[in-house]
Amino acid sequence: MPIDKLNIKKLYALSSENKRFCFPQPLKHSIRIGKREYEVKLKADDKYGTYVLWKNRKYPVEIIRSRQNKYEILFNDISYTFTVETPFSMRRMKMLSSTRGKVEKEVLRAPMPGKIIDVMVREGSTVLRGEPLLILEAMKMQNEIQSPVNGKVIKVLAKANTNVLKDDILVEIKVE
Amino acid sequence: MDLSGKHYKAFVDRQDALKKQYGPKHAEKQHSKGKLTAQERISLLFDPGTFEELDAFVTPANQPVEFGTVERTYGDGVIVGHGKVNGRLVFGFAQDFTVMGGSLGYVHAKKIAKIQEMALKMGTPIIGMMDSGGARIQEGVASLSGYAAIFHNIIQSSGIIPQLCVIMGPAAGGAVYSPALTDFVFMVNHTSYMFVTGPNVVKEVLNEDVTSEELGGAEVHGRKSGVAHMIYDDEENTILALKKFLAYLPSNNVENPPVVADDGLTPDVNEKLRDIVPDDPNKAYDVKDIIQLIVDKNSFFETAELYAPNLVTGFGRLKGKTIGIVANQPKVLAGVLDIDSSTKGARFIRFCDAFNIPILTLEDVPGFLPGTDQEHAGIIRHGAKLLFAYSEATVPRITIILRKAYGGAFIVMNSKSLGGDFSFAWPTAEIAVMGPDGAVAILYRKELASSKNPKELKKELVKKYRDKVANPFIADESGYIDEVIDPAVTRKKIVSAFAALNNKWVKVPARKHGNMPL
Amino acid sequence: MKIKRILIANRGEIAVRIIKTAHRMNIETVAIRTAVEPDAMFHSLADIVYDDTEDISEIPVFLNIEKLIEIALKTKSDAVHPGYGFLAENAYFAQKCIENNIVFIGPSPDALYKMGNKTIARRIALAAKIPMAIGSDGNIGDEEEAVTVAEKIGYPVIIKAASGGGGRGMRIVRKSEEMEKMFIIASKEAEKAFNDPSVFIEKYIENPKHIEFQILGDTKGNIIHLGERECSIQRKHQKLLEEAPSMALNNNLRKKMGKIAVQIASAVNYYSAGTVEFLLDSEKNFYFMEMNTRIQVEHPVTEVITGIDLIEQQIRIANGEMLKFRQEEIKFKGWAIECRINAEDVQAGFAPDPGKIEKLSLPTESCVRVDTGVQAGSSIIASFDSLIAKLIIKGKDRKDAIRNCKMALDKVWIKGTKTTLPFFRMLVRNPKFLDGSFTTAFIEKDLDKFYLNSEYEEMLAAWLATKLFVEENLSSNSINVDFENGKKLSPWLLNKRINQF
Repeated sequence: MPIDKLNIKKLYALSSENKRFCFPQPLKHSIRIGKREYEVKLKADDKYGTYVLWKNRKYPVEIIRSRQNKYEILFNDISYTFTVETPFSMRRMKMLSSTRGKVEKEVLRAPMPGKIIDVMVREGSTVLRGEPLLILEAMKMQNEIQSPVNGKVIKVLAKANTNVLKDDILVEIKVE
Repeated sequence: MDLSGKHYKAFVDRQDALKKQYGPKHAEKQHSKGKLTAQERISLLFDPGTFEELDAFVTPANQPVEFGTVERTYGDGVIVGHGKVNGRLVFGFAQDFTVMGGSLGYVHAKKIAKIQEMALKMGTPIIGMMDSGGARIQEGVASLSGYAAIFHNIIQSSGIIPQLCVIMGPAAGGAVYSPALTDFVFMVNHTSYMFVTGPNVVKEVLNEDVTSEELGGAEVHGRKSGVAHMIYDDEENTILALKKFLAYLPSNNVENPPVVADDGLTPDVNEKLRDIVPDDPNKAYDVKDIIQLIVDKNSFFETAELYAPNLVTGFGRLKGKTIGIVANQPKVLAGVLDIDSSTKGARFIRFCDAFNIPILTLEDVPGFLPGTDQEHAGIIRHGAKLLFAYSEATVPRITIILRKAYGGAFIVMNSKSLGGDFSFAWPTAEIAVMGPDGAVAILYRKELASSKNPKELKKELVKKYRDKVANPFIADESGYIDEVIDPAVTRKKIVSAFAALNNKWVKVPARKHGNMPL
Repeated sequence: MKIKRILIANRGEIAVRIIKTAHRMNIETVAIRTAVEPDAMFHSLADIVYDDTEDISEIPVFLNIEKLIEIALKTKSDAVHPGYGFLAENAYFAQKCIENNIVFIGPSPDALYKMGNKTIARRIALAAKIPMAIGSDGNIGDEEEAVTVAEKIGYPVIIKAASGGGGRGMRIVRKSEEMEKMFIIASKEAEKAFNDPSVFIEKYIENPKHIEFQILGDTKGNIIHLGERECSIQRKHQKLLEEAPSMALNNNLRKKMGKIAVQIASAVNYYSAGTVEFLLDSEKNFYFMEMNTRIQVEHPVTEVITGIDLIEQQIRIANGEMLKFRQEEIKFKGWAIECRINAEDVQAGFAPDPGKIEKLSLPTESCVRVDTGVQAGSSIIASFDSLIAKLIIKGKDRKDAIRNCKMALDKVWIKGTKTTLPFFRMLVRNPKFLDGSFTTAFIEKDLDKFYLNSEYEEMLAAWLATKLFVEENLSSNSINVDFENGKKLSPWLLNKRINQF
């Protein structure tokens, strides 16, 4: 019975900025730089917690979140988000984005929990990159949330005098 | 037998013909759309070397054709058989879109019906991977009756063996009832869709322009209609998740769910649990943070995450044993119950009840969502579904009241009087007929109306109400809750409570079935 | 020494700092235990801990003047050290201490009052002919006055709160159309932060450097300065990194500015430790901004290059002793850099990330001094501040100090919250920081990212993500399920279930 064997020979980790890192499958405990292979290990102990050992140096790491194939990792105090893809799903992603065209929508989320003090835009407002959209008060500080893109506001979910949690959607902007 | 003789040669020739049918061109048809072939899906799902295909050479050769022509392909567009998934016997089928668009003809349907019947006889789960254009027009009524047979089988097996469905391509017209009737539906984003009536007919009849994705894509079914429970961005992840999901479920309704080796990494006592519910009752928090600390590390598998997010449902493990979890989510709509969440919860509870999965309820609900929208749409009878499902369930049921538990919602969320086995409460629990603001407004209406400083008076009365009435100690002391517990020991308490309920058995009333509000 | 027991009206790292010096001087210390922070590092180091966990009032004890006096009397403390923040610059508190025969380790109530109110401070500076930025004569009454005054001064201007600093109640206005709105916002913020909506307006000096001078004065009228600190690395007026000395000053300028700093302090008969803040523009003109009448967070860098313990000096001065040093005797040796390691998420715009410090390991090299109030197991409490530790690095010159800084930053190991370490790791490699040309606009204007994405580190993180994926999904024992276990039912149960159907 001709069932194709799905042999996955490599895996890709895609960063949130679309940087691609390729690793052979089965996954080795070493990474190649130039001509040399350097050993990498994931370890944990009571003194340091979880860490990665690489080139004789320890790096603190924490797995913040893992959902399906998306991983948020805190590595040496910086968080990175990766999705892990097989060669087939990479190909599929490329194919889908080319046939469906880009839906250019920027979703602005609350960077921290707090209270919305003032909302300066409404649906239909034209905004420029850097323009203040709303004021979020957190930790007794008033934070101005600025637009990251040029475009038109399509949805305003933030309301003045309401509390929001981290990552709550505040505004949606159509990129222009 | 002579290996060079004509018998053996005929055997080999036919094997070759089958191989040729599935050449690289055939794979490219699916791959170019970002989809896997039926064979690839089967080999991803089943443990390597364990899949035995049945009826591989069946063709619709002798089928009467009413209109048009029908290809005489081996298999008639669907692969069916049995194999092991993570070591357990499972039956499954995968439709092949490259053969006549994966359309369902008489023979195709018979193959599926065959393994459905076998799965029921063996008491094993059955998985359907759907990728089909729908009924085969050419075969006319024969293909419709083929569908009906499949649906009938699903219903006959419903609640006896777990039935899971993965939508990996189109599923239109009659085909959508398969997913609707099965226990859980997995769907692949962007390359699959489900609808009863397609965009073409919609355009004709209503003159409305809508794409397949907008009408019935994964986002729509995951978020709005609730037909799809789990959505993934690509096929491999979908199937891998399905395998993970299966490991939570028993093979049939007589067995207990499987047990996973407990790695002992989750602490039984965790002080972090004390920090999650804020002291300010108007501040929200994420109940999933609590769930993650109670169940075995990384064992929480959420179902219907995007649909009615104000109620969280899913499976988890306690010391390796599967439990079902139903929890109000305070950070969405303040955790109120509404129509969607009531139906979501009710269906989930009934599944757990059918398959001997104990249920843990985490409660923080201020009530039902008010308003004409909900009332006119029938929140009365939809809310009753949740009540019915809880009350009817005979699996072990434990409730933990985290914060608010007011009025009707308190009763509905698995209260002891509904047959809940144990009810615990955290010190932050507020159990009352009505929330403090509402209660004070009613009980002290006159005093507030005649007061010089009603705002201050209300604040004072609300505080008094909170202290006197809406605390868990009263309910504890009158026996409506079993114990007020320290949040830090929640996991320990639940584990021992479920252990005590291990052999729970309640006789169900002698009736064909109840008349559940629908 | 008349002072035998000091009540510390503060917490966190400054409480630990005060205890360290007090112990060296054989003075007892009293710490206060609160319900919101019952078990912090400073509690275990103090001699006496006053338990205030029963207190249910809404005002935190460190801001409750009556309560603090009561505790000082109850614990028979001779003196109170207010630290920084809280009531450190509250004239009324200082007065109340004196009235109750408790020594207030800080300046006089009069100096606190005069320098505490920025408008009055400006008037005093004006009278003493101190160079300052042009500003409004007093507080601004309403939006209209704001617009008129601003027009007279000439844009850009900055609105500042009269009763406090730290960036609150502060707004830069460049266009007259924005003035009304900004005035209202600034006043509201000032009212919320300092209970006083009064604001005044000054000419805004573009891209200045923030240079401050450390002052020490005794009750006999001797006042000296201990050199400057470079504090231009700020974000939204919160300092992140400070150095002593500053690359922008040569000996001459230091002498000039130091003299003016002493002059201002003299104008209010200042004693104890204090700081005079200046803005230095691109042409090396300096303008008096304000005086901070307390010990400051960044005091260690001055201590490192002068060899003088400022807390000790504060205690001695409060004890009535005369300053032992004359201005000519103050020498500066080497270079010091302080990095404030906060529990903040640099990738989310420095959003606070409170939580529990699970693991903490700090460098122990001789060129590193660590001032901290937390240890492994401590909680960073959102309602106080987000400071985890101050890393103070010494070097024989700036280059050496920066090199040591790079090494020290890599040796800090903190798990449990996100920290500002990635920011400092980037900063010590940034060319504008290295050549000293940065100004207070550096973070807002010259940086587009607050951290460096080290390529190897990102790749290692990617490898880890892949490893997790493989473990969860592709390895043969990713799901170690025992299907047989589910079939082992007790006969009781099995019997019932089967007979049910």
